[in-house]
Amino acid sequence: MAKIELNDVSLTFTLSQERRVTFKEYLIRGLFLPSRNPKVAVHALANINLTANDGDRIGIIGHNGAGKSTMLKLLAGIYPPTSGTKTVEGKICSLFDISLGFEHEANGWDNIMYRAYLQGETPRSLKAKLQDIADFTELGSFLNVPVRYYSSGMLVRLAFSIATAAEPEVLLIDEVLSVGDMAFQNKARQRMKEMMSSARLMVMVSHDLESIRSLCTRAIWLQQGTIMMAGDPDEVVDAYTESVAPKISRHPAGLVTDDPDQAEPVEPAEIVERAA
Amino acid sequence: MLHHLQAVWSFRHFWMSLVRMDLRQRYRRSVLGIGWSLLNPLAMTAVFCVVFSSILGSSNWRTYAPFLLAGMSVWDFIRNSVTSGCVTFIHNESYIRQCPLPCGIYPLRTVMGAAIHFMISLSVVIVLLTVLNMNFASVQVLWAVLPSVLMVMVFAWSVATLAAFATVHFHDTQHLVEVGAQLWFFTTPIIYTRDLLDNKGLSWVADLNPVNLFLELIRGPLISGQPPEASLYVQGFTLTAVTLGLAIGTIAWLQNKLIFRL
Repeated sequence: MAKIELNDVSLTFTLSQERRVTFKEYLIRGLFLPSRNPKVAVHALANINLTANDGDRIGIIGHNGAGKSTMLKLLAGIYPPTSGTKTVEGKICSLFDISLGFEHEANGWDNIMYRAYLQGETPRSLKAKLQDIADFTELGSFLNVPVRYYSSGMLVRLAFSIATAAEPEVLLIDEVLSVGDMAFQNKARQRMKEMMSSARLMVMVSHDLESIRSLCTRAIWLQQGTIMMAGDPDEVVDAYTESVAPKISRHPAGLVTDDPDQAEPVEPAEIVERAA
Repeated sequence: MLHHLQAVWSFRHFWMSLVRMDLRQRYRRSVLGIGWSLLNPLAMTAVFCVVFSSILGSSNWRTYAPFLLAGMSVWDFIRNSVTSGCVTFIHNESYIRQCPLPCGIYPLRTVMGAAIHFMISLSVVIVLLTVLNMNFASVQVLWAVLPSVLMVMVFAWSVATLAAFATVHFHDTQHLVEVGAQLWFFTTPIIYTRDLLDNKGLSWVADLNPVNLFLELIRGPLISGQPPEASLYVQGFTLTAVTLGLAIGTIAWLQNKLIFRL
């Protein structure tokens, strides 16, 4: 039984002007005084209510910085909510930042092992999957080489293969996934589809509105950390596209800068094209 | 808290495999393997033996060498745990950003690595004592030493955890700890015996020094072949319990803020 329940959840980041303070500076420059090191509160998410059960496929859309990825990280348990209550039941698999966190001195096989343990596998359950994961990467004998020597595409292949080997109940996906070369992308897309159909509950963030329409049973439109609209994916996506498109063509002046060279009038159609 | 411990246990395969990897990395770079990393305390012992017996005319090297080596292993374990504990959250940042693991795992990773090294150098001390004294007194007293070794490991994990959180808040903590460790090394009866402090009326320096307590609990019985007094165990246990409590309290207090501080 997989379940997500967010009850009036807010998340506020308190950012200081000075990050990574050293003790020396703290004393000498008096950074303990609030005036010397002002704090800024950023409301990443505000008063979010969300309930999802088995079978729900939720798509999250919104502008950059609207809090979409933050929301996924909150669901994954990486960010604790500042206020409100959060319940997520079921084994979570999250596909974001997947190329982070390799042990660069260890070889591919060992990294498969560490990652898999991180996802809650045991030596016994991993044994059965190890070969499948290795085959899926198509890295062959490169798996015996320290990960330090891998190209970024190879790293993504490795990461993707491990991350998708789990059988999650709750699947969280962020803006997937230009994985590797063409051949691998097709494979990856296939694998994603399988995962989405086997997961009991899925939350995905995407700018690809068509895939939200086709894959999701519900959609959420986030704006500046609050839910603008939630409900049927077609309705939400339509409302979102409407809100984006006319705003730009109606106010072309918004794009004009103070720079006289760039202040020439621009055809609205051209702007719409650029925005799309 | 029980929940936290349970989570640490359920991810045991993860951190144990990382500890194994750390050890492999540490020992693979050199031909001598484990021998190489033991060479440092051994060489240091040899140097101090020469210096102390020829210049200061102190007692013979047969008793001094194991004394020094035992002291150095305990000291090195505590110091390494704390200095590498400082940067543990920073080194493991990518895991922290990716997965909500109990944050006690990361200091555990570094301390376990140091602990295995500590066990190896303690065995060298026991072999040395057995060979030099031609008896098995240090082996026979091992039952009295093992609880203290466990205690010092819990103590080291607690201090490493505190240091890790301190480093997240002040990024030069490791530097300060290293400077402090230099001073601490010379105020602790490691290269000299406690009598030196007692004779100068400075017994309180040793009495207040938690490292000295563990020296007396581990080095003391190994050298003398006699189990330590019960009151020492009580002190050691109290000290360990208090630091462990502090570490657990700090985790409960700051674990949710950790991600925002990295």
